[in-house]
Amino acid sequence: MTGNEQPPAPDEPLLSVANVSKIFSGGRSLLGRQRSAVRAVDGVSLELRAGETLGLVGETGSGKSTLGRLVLRLVEPTSGRITFAGEDLTAKSMAEVRRLRGSIQMVFQDPYGSLDPRMSVGALIAEPMIVHGAPRADIPRRVSEIMGLVGLDARLAHRYPHQFSGGQRQRIGIARAMALSPKLLVLDEPVSALDVSIQAQILNLLRDIQQRTGMAYLFIAHDLAVVRHVSNRVAVMYLGRIVETGPRDKLYGAPRHPYTISLLSAVPLASPALERTRSRIPVYGEISSGTAVPSGCRFHPRCFRARLVAGAGKVPTVASGDGIIPAVCAQQDPKLEGPTSEHLSACHFGPEHDGRIATLQPAGERA
Amino acid sequence: MSADDRASDLAVPPTPWRQLAETLRDHLRHPGLAIGTGLLALLLLVALFAPWIAPYPPLKTNMSNTLAPMSSAHWLGTDQFGRDVLSRILLGTQVSLQVAFAVVALSLTAGTLIGAIAGFAGGWIERITLVIIDILLAFPGFLFALALVAARGSSLESVIIAVAIAFTPRVAAVMRSVVLTIKPRPFIESSRAIGMSEWRVLWRHVIPNALPPVIVVATVSAATAILAEAGLSFLGLGVQPPTPTWGNIIADGNSLITTNPWISLSAGFCIAIAVIAFNLLGDGLRDTLDPQMKRQTGRGLL
Repeated sequence: MTGNEQPPAPDEPLLSVANVSKIFSGGRSLLGRQRSAVRAVDGVSLELRAGETLGLVGETGSGKSTLGRLVLRLVEPTSGRITFAGEDLTAKSMAEVRRLRGSIQMVFQDPYGSLDPRMSVGALIAEPMIVHGAPRADIPRRVSEIMGLVGLDARLAHRYPHQFSGGQRQRIGIARAMALSPKLLVLDEPVSALDVSIQAQILNLLRDIQQRTGMAYLFIAHDLAVVRHVSNRVAVMYLGRIVETGPRDKLYGAPRHPYTISLLSAVPLASPALERTRSRIPVYGEISSGTAVPSGCRFHPRCFRARLVAGAGKVPTVASGDGIIPAVCAQQDPKLEGPTSEHLSACHFGPEHDGRIATLQPAGERA
Repeated sequence: MSADDRASDLAVPPTPWRQLAETLRDHLRHPGLAIGTGLLALLLLVALFAPWIAPYPPLKTNMSNTLAPMSSAHWLGTDQFGRDVLSRILLGTQVSLQVAFAVVALSLTAGTLIGAIAGFAGGWIERITLVIIDILLAFPGFLFALALVAARGSSLESVIIAVAIAFTPRVAAVMRSVVLTIKPRPFIESSRAIGMSEWRVLWRHVIPNALPPVIVVATVSAATAILAEAGLSFLGLGVQPPTPTWGNIIADGNSLITTNPWISLSAGFCIAIAVIAFNLLGDGLRDTLDPQMKRQTGRGLL
C-alpha cells in the first residue's frame, strides 16, 4: 500500500503541520441568525519525524483530538497545510487521501464504540487490508500474525467485540490500525478509557510495537504521566493553540509556560513527603469556550504569572476578571518562542517571574 | 462474558453450519419467535401444498349442495355456489402469503436503501427525501390503492404495488432515524479512518447495524399487508373472484353471516392467525437480533 511513495529525505519530517486551523462554524439557526463559531484548532504548527513519539496534552476542549483528526483529514482544515511524507494532504482529493490513510492510521479512545459490534474480530482486522486491496490469499495469515503481535490469541478471531474486555478491545483497535503497517499512528487517548493496570500493558505494547516497526506516534492524552512515559517530545495545547513544546525531559524538568507549570504541579507525587512540601500552583477558573476566545494571550484569565508580574508593578496593568494583569497579556497574543529552537513557549514573561509564587492563594480556596 | 470461560470452543473453530445451528437454537429459545416461526412455517406449508391437501377443487361449484353445514364431507361446509369452504381457505393462503412476502421484499429493499442514503448523506438529499416521505405518509394508503387499482385494473400485482408503495416510506423513515443514531458512533469514524469510501461504510457498517429495527417494522408490516389485501379483496378491488382469497371469502360470506357464520369466521380466523404469526415473529426478532441480547435478556428467563 505504501510502496509507491517516495521515501522522505532523511532530514525531512514525516509529518508536518503548518499553521493549521479548524473553525467549526455554527451555521445559521432557524431564524437565520449566525451561530457562534468554535475555534477548535487555531494556527497550530508541529513536526514529527519517523519513529518518533510526540505527546499532545491538554484539557478537554483544548482541540487536541480535533488536531489528531485533522492529520487524517477526518476533519477538513479551515486553513493551513498538512504534509505527510512529502505529500500535501490538504491539497489532495478525497480518494487520494483515503489511499494515504493506509500509511496514517488512528487508534480511538473508546474501545467499546470504535469496533463494529456486528463484525468478528478477524473480519475487523482484515477489513483495512481488504479496503486497500491486499491479496485475499495473504489476509488470514496476516490477521493471525497481527493478532499475535498485539497479544491476542489468533484462535479468537471468530469472536465478536462484546466478548472481549476493554483492554483486549483496545488491542483489537491497535491490531486494526497496524494491519496496513502504517508509518504514522495517531493515538487519540488510547488508554484513557482503561483501568490503570491495563493502561500499563497497552502502553508497553505500543512501545514494543514502535521498537519493532519504527512507526511514528502522535500520542494524544490528557494524562501527563502517561505522556511522559511514552513521548520523545511533548506539545501542550490550550484553547486550540500549542502553548509550549519541547523535548520531554526539558518540558517536564524545566517547564516555561505558566499553564504547563500549573498542570505539572497538579500531578500527584508518589512520595507523600515530597507531596507535602511542594506548593500547588493555582489555575484560576476553567478553560474558556472556543466560541469566546479571550483577547491577547488566551491563557490570561487563568494565569498566575500574569498576576505575579502585575503585582510586582513594573509594567502597565489592566483589570481583568477578578485580578490585575499586565496590559500586554490582555492585548497581545504571545508568539511561540524560546531559548532554544527545540523548547518553545508562548508567554510574554519568562519563568524568572515566578519567584513569589508562594504568596498566591491556592486555587482550591477560592470559591 | 469473559474471553476464557468457554475454552471448549477454542479447540474446535466453529464451522459455518455449526454456527448457524447454534444461532437458530439460540433464537428459537424465545417463545414468541418460536411460536411465530412455527405458525408461519405451517402457513407456508399449507400455501405450498394447498392444491394437494385441499379436499375439493376450490373453484368447482355444485349447485345441488349449496350452503351445506359443517360435515365430515365438507369440514367447513359449502358456500352459496356449493364450493368447499375449507378448500377455498387453503388456497387463499397462497394469495395472502404472496402479498405479505412480496410487500415485505419490495418495501424493505426500497425503504432501506432510500432511508439509509437519506440519513447517511444528510444535507439537501435528506431534506428532499424527508419531504417526499412525509407526503406519502400523509396520503391515505387505501385511497392510493383505489387510485392504482382504477388505473391498472384490479389484480394481485396492483394490490402488491399499492401496499408496497404505502409501506416503503414507513420503512424509509424508520431506517433514516436509525441511521442517524448510527452515524455518530465511533466505529463509523474508525471505518473512515482506515480509508473506506463512504459507500462502503454505508454498505458494510451502517446498513447491517441499522437493519434489525427495520426488519421488525417490515415483519409487522407483513401482517398489515395481509389485512390490506383482505380489505381490498373484500371490497372487490383486489384479487378477482373466483380465485379465492381470505378477503373475498369473507365478502362472499358477508350476506350469510346470520345463517352460515362459519364461512366468514373461518377466513377471518386465518387472517388473525397469520397476523399474529407475523407480529410474534417481529417481536421475537426485535428481541433476538442483537448480538448482545444473550447478555441482556438473559437465558435464565426462558
